[in-house]
Amino acid sequence: MTPQLRTEELAGQPGGGSASPGENHLTGEQFGELMAGTTEAVGGELALAEAHLQACEQCAAELASLREAITLFREASSAYANEELRRRPRWILPERRSYSRSLMPAYWVAAAAMFLTALFPLQVLRRHNAHPQATAVVASSTPASTAQSDEALLEDVNSEISASVPTSMQALADPSDDASTASISTSDSTSNQRKD
Amino acid sequence: MGYEGVRMFPSTSLSLGAEARSTPLDDLENVVALYQPRVFRFLLATLRDRDAAETLTQETFLRAWSARASFREDCSLATWLIRIALNLARDHTRTGRFRFWKRVSASAVDVADVAAFVPTRDGSAEAQLIAQQQVAGIWESVARLSSRQRSIFLLRFMEEMEIPEIATVTGLPLGTVKSHLYRALAAIRAQHNTHGATPRNPTPRSAARRDATTKETQ
Repeated sequence: MTPQLRTEELAGQPGGGSASPGENHLTGEQFGELMAGTTEAVGGELALAEAHLQACEQCAAELASLREAITLFREASSAYANEELRRRPRWILPERRSYSRSLMPAYWVAAAAMFLTALFPLQVLRRHNAHPQATAVVASSTPASTAQSDEALLEDVNSEISASVPTSMQALADPSDDASTASISTSDSTSNQRKD
Repeated sequence: MGYEGVRMFPSTSLSLGAEARSTPLDDLENVVALYQPRVFRFLLATLRDRDAAETLTQETFLRAWSARASFREDCSLATWLIRIALNLARDHTRTGRFRFWKRVSASAVDVADVAAFVPTRDGSAEAQLIAQQQVAGIWESVARLSSRQRSIFLLRFMEEMEIPEIATVTGLPLGTVKSHLYRALAAIRAQHNTHGATPRNPTPRSAARRDATTKETQ
């Protein structure tokens, strides 16, 4: 709330001719209400303020002067802004696209056609992929049997390695046995010859 | 700070409107033609920077377009646009960058430029000079107001909005709006009474510019 204007504050101001010492003038709020044109206080404060304006030439002149200055301010600012805007390049807005309701079904039909068109290759691809799945089953079983044979082979290799004498070298493993066998066979043949 | 060249809204933004309900902003070209001067004027008086005012004016319409689905028509389109502009200006002036550029910007508004556009009512040069001096005084007084007081003052006396409309734009209670408005008026009144009678000569640049504009309009 602005303080109430006193007579001495108004001394020397334009329109102060009718002010007399000790006379109260418009308060800041009353002045604001009159300037702003707020209508809530019509029955009370505003009516008093307007009555004061009728009697006080000083307040009336001050109010008129401020109103005039603010009006000039608005007009000059508007003119300046309009001129400033006029000198600047205009915005280029894209043309408005009109979406006619009669065309809306056509848009939906086109969208559905595009969807189906995109779906068709997917279906074909799906069917195509069905056979490779069966082949994959066979292919997956084949490596299993191969793995089994591999294991058997590995076991054979291991048993061969773990054996003290390889099967292929078994005949050379014990030369004494062969010698005795040979001597036996030799003696047998000798004896047979003697018998002959 | 500002844009150079031709301004253009992104073309993709307009294609988003097919599914939305009909709003007054659908006809963007018409809306811009109707409200751009008003939004620009308010922002120019608020920011006192031509480029910043235009940038934020464009931003105002872009935001309005983007948020047009949220426009429920509880208030007029002008009120809604000014509310967006005010919020943008508030965000803009909060930054330290704005305060720096305000000092050094070449596009800052010169008070004499504005005063040069005082309408000619009385043929006498003296009356014209006094009128220009009064406008310059008000312009400088408004600059000294707090940002909230300035906004409310401009909304009331430049945009000629009613108090309830200003309350809608600012989001403040009616009593608060009136309180700020009265304080703003008290400050401007004091300044007007103190300096109102002191004539100030317009700068030669301002006078020349006004004369050129007058000739163009004639």
